[in-house]
Amino acid sequence: MSSLEERAVQAAGFADERLGVAKFTRKSLNKIFPDHWSFMLGEIALYSFVVLIFTGIFLTFFFVPSTQQVIYHGSYAPLRGQRMSEAYASTLNISFNVRAGLVMRQIHHWAADVFIAAIVVHLLRIFFTGAFRRPRELNWMIGTLLLILAIVNGFIGYSLPDDLISGTGIRIAFSILLSIPVVGSYLAFFIFGSNFPGTSIIPRFYILHVLILPAIIAALIGAHLAIMWHQKHTQYPGPGRTERNVVGIPFWPAYALQAGGFFFITAAVLAALGGLVQINPIWLYGPYVPYKVSYAVQPDWYMGWLDGALRLMPSWETVFGPTIGGHMIPNVFFPAVLLPGITFGLIFAWPWIERAFTRDRSEHNLCDRPRERPIRTSVGVGVVVFYVVLFLASATDVLANTFETSLNLVLWTLRILLFVLPILSGFVTYLLVKEIEHLPAVGTPKAGVEIRRTIEGNFELSGLGREAAGEKAAELPEEVAYHQRTTNGHAEIYDAPELGLGERAVPVEGGLS
Amino acid sequence: MKFKHAMGAGVFVAAATMLTAVTAAILPRNPQLVSSAAPVPSGAKQVVVYTNPPARLIPEGQALFAEDCETCHGPQAQGSSRAPNLQGLGAATVDFWVSTGRMPLADPTQQAFEKPPVLNHTQQLAVSAYVASLAPGGPAIPSVNLGAANISRGESLFSEDCAACHTITGVGDALANNVYAPSLYPATPTQIAEAIRTGPGNMPRFGPGTLSNQEVGDIVRYVTYLQHPNDRGGLGLGHVGPVAEGFVAILIGLGSLVVVGYWIGGRAG
Repeated sequence: MSSLEERAVQAAGFADERLGVAKFTRKSLNKIFPDHWSFMLGEIALYSFVVLIFTGIFLTFFFVPSTQQVIYHGSYAPLRGQRMSEAYASTLNISFNVRAGLVMRQIHHWAADVFIAAIVVHLLRIFFTGAFRRPRELNWMIGTLLLILAIVNGFIGYSLPDDLISGTGIRIAFSILLSIPVVGSYLAFFIFGSNFPGTSIIPRFYILHVLILPAIIAALIGAHLAIMWHQKHTQYPGPGRTERNVVGIPFWPAYALQAGGFFFITAAVLAALGGLVQINPIWLYGPYVPYKVSYAVQPDWYMGWLDGALRLMPSWETVFGPTIGGHMIPNVFFPAVLLPGITFGLIFAWPWIERAFTRDRSEHNLCDRPRERPIRTSVGVGVVVFYVVLFLASATDVLANTFETSLNLVLWTLRILLFVLPILSGFVTYLLVKEIEHLPAVGTPKAGVEIRRTIEGNFELSGLGREAAGEKAAELPEEVAYHQRTTNGHAEIYDAPELGLGERAVPVEGGLS
Repeated sequence: MKFKHAMGAGVFVAAATMLTAVTAAILPRNPQLVSSAAPVPSGAKQVVVYTNPPARLIPEGQALFAEDCETCHGPQAQGSSRAPNLQGLGAATVDFWVSTGRMPLADPTQQAFEKPPVLNHTQQLAVSAYVASLAPGGPAIPSVNLGAANISRGESLFSEDCAACHTITGVGDALANNVYAPSLYPATPTQIAEAIRTGPGNMPRFGPGTLSNQEVGDIVRYVTYLQHPNDRGGLGLGHVGPVAEGFVAILIGLGSLVVVGYWIGGRAG
């Protein structure tokens, strides 16, 4: 009998002879990934999605997606004997009677909130570093699509328990659909299967939430990663880094272990939130009944900007009475349909919008530093501030109550700030960026300093600073230069003009230590 | 045989009709809430009992009224340009305003807010007794027997009648034009019942034609529950809903992960 190792080698040989996997595997394991903390924001989103899948599967075992009315006889006394949908009753059951049900629900909900937050921050990183430029426009669009789908699926999942607050959210969604001129009522009735509330929406939302949208999201994440793998990750400029190479850590073992560890940390943070901080205590909200409403309910944070836009929108309907082809345009249409349409339209089109101004059609594999692009950076800051104000506007009542001031004052303040703050912050950003644009010292890594004690007992500063290392590195060939600068040096060179063609991994000899 | 059948059928139909009528007469409107809505048998303890404060407190109340209230409400509580007429509003109205510290009022242009009461408990009763003695009408001071109330019925009524301003968790919120619905967390059962029955400030009054005493007791029961709800699931975030949750998700959830990423990932250069 051969040993275990021999058998493993035999099996690998078997697979390689038939599938030719050895070359692919070797190439994959040696794939170089630039190592920077800001490149890990998308990873947070990815790992949150994995947590969402696992906790979500658990929840499907106990959730009943039905609007069938039942009398609650469960263990939560303040609702016992009330009529409610099976969806709500089963969510109560998950929260009170299913072992680990509540913690799974809470992890799922926190993971959703963090998932979308990570996507947004990831998107901002890509934007401010110009990583959306050729050749990465497609991946930028896929990422934007993922953001939209994540928001939609988050809203749908938030609606499934059929509690008073989420039911109010569905009611608002129905009205938003109705506000679309001409097709609105057809669209709303098509989606809801009847007038609001009907009995179809919870089961329909359910199948969208647990199967259709997650499948599309998973497929798009796969495409997103595959394109990133093929195009290679961008990197920040630095010694030894060019548009035609990738300097970083190899997939195996350094990157894989770092990423794997980060997955467990993400899962741990989400689990800690789920176990320690209450989220969406639906039992305090009661079952959804169409004629009941709680004052000033908010949606989850990622819908906050839309809710805020609805709150800030003045009543044009009564003042101007805008129409299109004889059809009135309801007030809701502008903040709830037009605004997100323009928002995501601009995000999708941004790579081409920017190109129209810069006339820059060349490929970019090195990230910009935000200070090198004053206009893009200040436009981005202004736009972000615009949405932050909208987000705050979804909490007008909470702000007024917290600061003990008039709701109307808060509303008008935010209406003005919505236009003033973006312009102001964009302008200030522009000035600041212009100031630091040409300062060589900004952003330079801190120099490592070694203090030695000499044999006489004096202290001596030895010059191991980055500048010294940089000077030394500049004299050396590229790969070696990198080896000089890291303990785990690999450089990947592409020698073909087109990206991805003829690439070869060139591990630096002795680079691993 | 046929006749017998017909007669049997007739008797059955009649009996069924009578039974239905009797059942309909006995059963309340909402069948699932039979236990709570059933009429309270005489002799059993009432859910809400209204008692006027003892008459012997009236002279003390008159003196306190002259001291603290008369400037605005007038010597006979008949009201003035600054303050409403209190005659005929009953002891419960006065007791609510003074026991929650809203009266005496510092600034008549602002909505009165809850503060530590100026008058002690006996003094509160005395002022209430004095005002109630001026004119008939208005509810006396209610006391609620929480044990006889139905919490589930209370939840249903609360979400129907109260949540639209006080929010579904009872935490209170800012309404339009500087008016706000106060938090219900500091309220005592008597104060909750008083507020329901007398409608202080902008709040509507829920009279006996709108809510029965049993229903008032049920709501009071649920509000006292909301003051200490089943807060399982960890740290409650003040019951203000997704706003606080969003901040936690972004600042603590994502924030800590970015810090960890910064820790394990590469830095500049």
